[in-house]
Amino acid sequence: MTVRHSLLAMLADQPAHGYALKTGFETSTSGTWPLNIGQVYTTLARLRRDGLVEPENLDDHGPRQTWRITDKGRLALEHWYESPVLDDPPARDELAIKVLLAVATQEVDVSRILQGQRAATMERLQSWTRLKRQADPEQEIPWLLLLDALILKAEAEIHWLDICEQRLSQGRHG
Amino acid sequence: MSEHSKTVIRFLDVERVHGSGQQAVRALGPISLDIGPGEFVAIMGPSGSGKSTLLSLAGALDRPTLGRVLIDGQDLDGLSQRQLAELRRRVIGYVFQELNLLPGLTAIENVALPLELDGFPIAKARAIASEALAGVRLQALASRFPDDLSGGEQQRVAIARAFVGERKLLLADEPTGALDSVTGELVMRLLREHCDRGRTTVLVTHDASHAAWADRVLYLRDGLLFDEVGDRRPPVGATS
Repeated sequence: MTVRHSLLAMLADQPAHGYALKTGFETSTSGTWPLNIGQVYTTLARLRRDGLVEPENLDDHGPRQTWRITDKGRLALEHWYESPVLDDPPARDELAIKVLLAVATQEVDVSRILQGQRAATMERLQSWTRLKRQADPEQEIPWLLLLDALILKAEAEIHWLDICEQRLSQGRHG
Repeated sequence: MSEHSKTVIRFLDVERVHGSGQQAVRALGPISLDIGPGEFVAIMGPSGSGKSTLLSLAGALDRPTLGRVLIDGQDLDGLSQRQLAELRRRVIGYVFQELNLLPGLTAIENVALPLELDGFPIAKARAIASEALAGVRLQALASRFPDDLSGGEQQRVAIARAFVGERKLLLADEPTGALDSVTGELVMRLLREHCDRGRTTVLVTHDASHAAWADRVLYLRDGLLFDEVGDRRPPVGATS
């Protein structure tokens, strides 16, 4: 759903063609989530089918076609902005699944998994922190907000790994 | 590279045991460790893992039960109490949780105090202190007393005080403890800048996002060095 609404959000700002939407999305999100141009065109086709966008030039079927948002599209976008994002049911979390299976099956040394993951996540956290240090706090606010989000998620992951370790060691000793 | 050839902190098979006989509790070790000039090292680990004990030894506030601790090349074991105090004053700046700002002195007087103890004339000490307060973005509040400053402002005064006097080593124990995240980040930024000017920094923290400002992160568990992440030296080009 994110790509759909992201395209609507950019079109609400001004009409644009597919490639401009791709680059606009990537610029707004500082290149963190690259967008496939094919996905942009498929999504635009679906948005058109649902009456949320329309072509400016009905005769042009090529990549230079400029799209604009409809009133129905603006309502859908408004609804998206107003709805809190709830991860429900939670997205599949590979790390959590890996740890839970390791605990359940006792086939592997769980503490090694936790330690290896924590080291890797800490290294990512260090590299994001270096990027944050280099960012201009006045000129690059969106980039800093994104880094804050990534940093906090990594921090939460490390915290969770610590808790796993403590619970497992209490389980063993207790 | 000769600058890197000397370590600022060296632990050789260090153990710290509190109490004796059946009551003996090993708080730390055995642990060996080298921290070089200009390194920024963070220490993490659960409560009771030995973080504060390690910091006390690195700060020459305590001596090991076994093994050797060398600070700036000096073996703590060979030093008298007076020499230890001299080492602390000359080499080490501290930012601890309890800020130890003197309530009867203004911010600038608190920062100037270690310089005056170093023998600087008062005017010179004040000038350096004023610069240090500007460095932590507090020059406007220089004449306030600690009680008239917020927690975050007091913490920055304590940091400015630890920064003055060109001390080689800065030790920080949870310096962001009571601060909101934006102020906490400012504190980390200041520690990092200080370190990038060649000062060795050791930070004890529970907060992974603060530890990530360091070049190396050491994990302690049950008094032992359990894991280590990051580079031995500051990454080239990462300094400002």
